[in-house]
Amino acid sequence: MTKPKIATVWFEACSGCHMSFLDLDEALVDVLSKVQLTVSPVTDFKDYDFPEVDVGIVEGGVGNTEHKEIAEKLRKHCRILVALGDCAVFGGINTLRNGLPKEEVLRYGFIETESTVNGVMPIHEELPALLDKILPLHEVVPVDVFLPGCPPSPEVIAYGLTEILEGRIPVLPADMIHFD
Amino acid sequence: MESKSKISLKIDGGEVTADEGMTILEVAQQAGIHIPTLCHHPALSKWGGCRMCVVEVEGVPRLVASCVMPVREGMMVVTTNERIIKSRRAVLEFIFAERNHNCMFCEKSGDCELQQLAYDLQMDHMAVPQAFTPYPLDITNDYMGIDHNRCILCGRCVRACAELAGNHVLAFQNRGPRSLIGFDLNETLNGSTCYACGICLQVCPTGAIFNRQRTHYAVKGHTKAWQATDSHCPQCGLLCATTMVVADNTLLKVEGRLTADGKRPDRGQLCFRGRFEIFNDFGERLRHPLVRNAKGRWTEESWENALDRVAKKMNSLRDTAGGQVLFGIASGGVSNEVLIAFRDLLAKGWSAGTIDTFDGSHYRAVLAASRELGHPLEEASWRQLPDSDFVIACGADLSKRQPLLLSLLRRNVLENGSRVAVIGPADVMASFRSFYFETDHEDLPAWVDILWNMAAQASGGTPKAKGKTQKTGQAGGKRYLTDLQKKVGMPAKTRTALTDMVSQYLASKQPLVIAGEALSDAKCASALNHLARLTGLKDPDACGRLMILKRDGNSAGAWKLGIAAQKRPGPKRRLKAGLMLLGEESAADIAVWTGRSAPEFLAVISPHMPTKLLDKAQVFIPRPSWLEEEGTYTASDGNETAHVKKVLTAPEGVRDTWQTLLALADRTGGAPALKTLEQLTKKAAAELNPGIET
Ligand code: SF4
Ligand code: SF4
Ligand code: SF4
Ligand code: FES
Repeated sequence: MTKPKIATVWFEACSGCHMSFLDLDEALVDVLSKVQLTVSPVTDFKDYDFPEVDVGIVEGGVGNTEHKEIAEKLRKHCRILVALGDCAVFGGINTLRNGLPKEEVLRYGFIETESTVNGVMPIHEELPALLDKILPLHEVVPVDVFLPGCPPSPEVIAYGLTEILEGRIPVLPADMIHFD
Repeated sequence: MESKSKISLKIDGGEVTADEGMTILEVAQQAGIHIPTLCHHPALSKWGGCRMCVVEVEGVPRLVASCVMPVREGMMVVTTNERIIKSRRAVLEFIFAERNHNCMFCEKSGDCELQQLAYDLQMDHMAVPQAFTPYPLDITNDYMGIDHNRCILCGRCVRACAELAGNHVLAFQNRGPRSLIGFDLNETLNGSTCYACGICLQVCPTGAIFNRQRTHYAVKGHTKAWQATDSHCPQCGLLCATTMVVADNTLLKVEGRLTADGKRPDRGQLCFRGRFEIFNDFGERLRHPLVRNAKGRWTEESWENALDRVAKKMNSLRDTAGGQVLFGIASGGVSNEVLIAFRDLLAKGWSAGTIDTFDGSHYRAVLAASRELGHPLEEASWRQLPDSDFVIACGADLSKRQPLLLSLLRRNVLENGSRVAVIGPADVMASFRSFYFETDHEDLPAWVDILWNMAAQASGGTPKAKGKTQKTGQAGGKRYLTDLQKKVGMPAKTRTALTDMVSQYLASKQPLVIAGEALSDAKCASALNHLARLTGLKDPDACGRLMILKRDGNSAGAWKLGIAAQKRPGPKRRLKAGLMLLGEESAADIAVWTGRSAPEFLAVISPHMPTKLLDKAQVFIPRPSWLEEEGTYTASDGNETAHVKKVLTAPEGVRDTWQTLLALADRTGGAPALKTLEQLTKKAAAELNPGIET
């Protein structure tokens, strides 16, 4: 039997969900032995030509045009798409910017902060453009599995992956749902 | 009253009985059946606004809100099925989607009723897109803030402000999605008439209204590890019923016990002192005994050596110069146990000539008033406020020390139509007073004299004294009165208003007179006597409707234990050495005592570093704060006592105050009669004689 293939990506997020994944400790070895990790920030893979995978995992909200493109690509190439963590599920901490015009957000971030000297606005045709609002993944592409948490605990991740590997679509029981 | 008839109905198939008038929710709760709620709060009026509590009632096509639906005979109720859960989940998702409920940047996370509902209903994502409309954040007030982005418009705060605080500051403002909880008419929190009681914060189910004094809430850990202890707030003598929530030896929040004690007229409120200022930084803690050497340098010392040093000095002065040169001054904010140990140490151990509290002069004014009166001055209790139909507040700025009384007064005006007259320098009761007579501190006793004379003349029942001296507090003649009125420059208009006020007072059934902090110095004895007599006009037997506001949390305990009365001036000899027991006294309080020529020797027992006394004292001994030490406190009316629990652990090595005092007593040459905290508590109960409340 070939091992199921997994691809993971991170969008507008802090990488905490991927860290929580690594936090599986010994269980990580077990999980990794059962799957084949393809594209992933963990493998430092920067080319998003996804192979056909069984499970696509997304950390982070969809915040710019590149995120949107990758999300759509991954959706096409994966059988089960997982939104991992509050940012992918709800938008998360990034929604702090959703009340502000994006120009203001960029200007503040790249020019006005105390620590910035001679800042420049990151606007260039080769750079992905910021979306007006950061969106949860399922508002951009259909999502099969939701694992909220900031970050989701290793137990939540293990539960989700085990269920998927055993052929079920996981639904978190009440005592496993956490938004913080 | 007729007893309510019983009703029987079925909830989830089970037979239950209920009283007529109960709601489905109440009956279900009684039967141990859980129905989720959000806008409902047991201490508030019923609202029915959120529809989280919907249930199915047989024969009723739509789901009904169980929190507002009264039960009927033979009703068949279902509290959970797929349809109900779907409806609740939809309501929940709409609430989450309407404003920002991304919990990771919300201080309420982990302690939030809305979040808990999302967990319970397994809301792992939202099918409804979030609106992401920005709403304002109001952080104009230092105690609390409101983030409208977290508000779910449940209206609990509005009801609490009106029904519990009686303050009616909050209301819904705007319509539809633009609705906001507004303060007064479009005011900021700080610019409004809100006095930061924080009851709205306590009942808010979300993170919309938050505590700004509590800066360490982020480290609160898991709610499972929290400890909640029922206690009382000993800071102002009302002994409000609290629940203290602590994690990892850190105070997280103080809540009023809204439903625990229906007997309390405050309905479980707290004031800004108990709820917010408790998180203030009271300064650096004193962690070890410190001793100042001959060169003036402070050094750490062992407990035994520090106590020996104090005892040696005090003993030797007692034996050579006599106890008259020794003094002890105690905070009125410490427990009865500590006060007894302190008093016995000073009086029995060292025969000290002066034992006092920081508010001792107030007590002596009250004693002097009693002497003028010819009998002990019986005090009214704050609990009488809600039954009073006419209240005269004299020199009382209630907003500072007993802000809770403001709420009681206002509610009494609103709910019972009572009237309030204010005489004094500050008027925080502007919005609900019927009479206001502005006068400064200086003229206040004269005003009281005028008031008493006018009332006495109007009621005509009191013998008039001859001459102008009012030593005995008897009413003077007409001439005396006009002279007085002239003296304070009272215009005719004011005289008319005062006459009107006096006649309303005399016509009232259950009046109450409040003597505030402006009548607490030695010069005010006669004014207190006049006020007592004023109440005597209404209640000739007792003079029992004068309420005397006290400065410190346990002033009444200290007074009743006779601490302040032990000041024995004796022959004019200089006070040479003494012991000062501090609570959270301000620098100004301390200055009054140390401003006089510094004694040869001063030892200070204090929870915090007494920085004001660095060049005046020789020994500092640490003690726990009131949160770190068990003790009983007496309410300001002297009628009840409450146990204040130890909820935090004192810094390592710091001994309980009573232990320190007993250890000193051990060193005076005669062993102390009381040896344990239990014995001290028993003694306090015996001497104070009120029933222990909790
Ligand atoms: S109010 Fe409650 S549900 Fe809303 S963000 Fe805060 S913790 Fe989450
Ligand atoms: S703090 Fe008290 S007075 Fe102020 S708005 Fe809230 S409930 Fe009303
Ligand atoms: S501020 Fe809190 S209590 Fe008031 S309506 Fe909003 S969520 Fe409800
Ligand atoms: S709890 Fe019943 S309608 Fe809100």
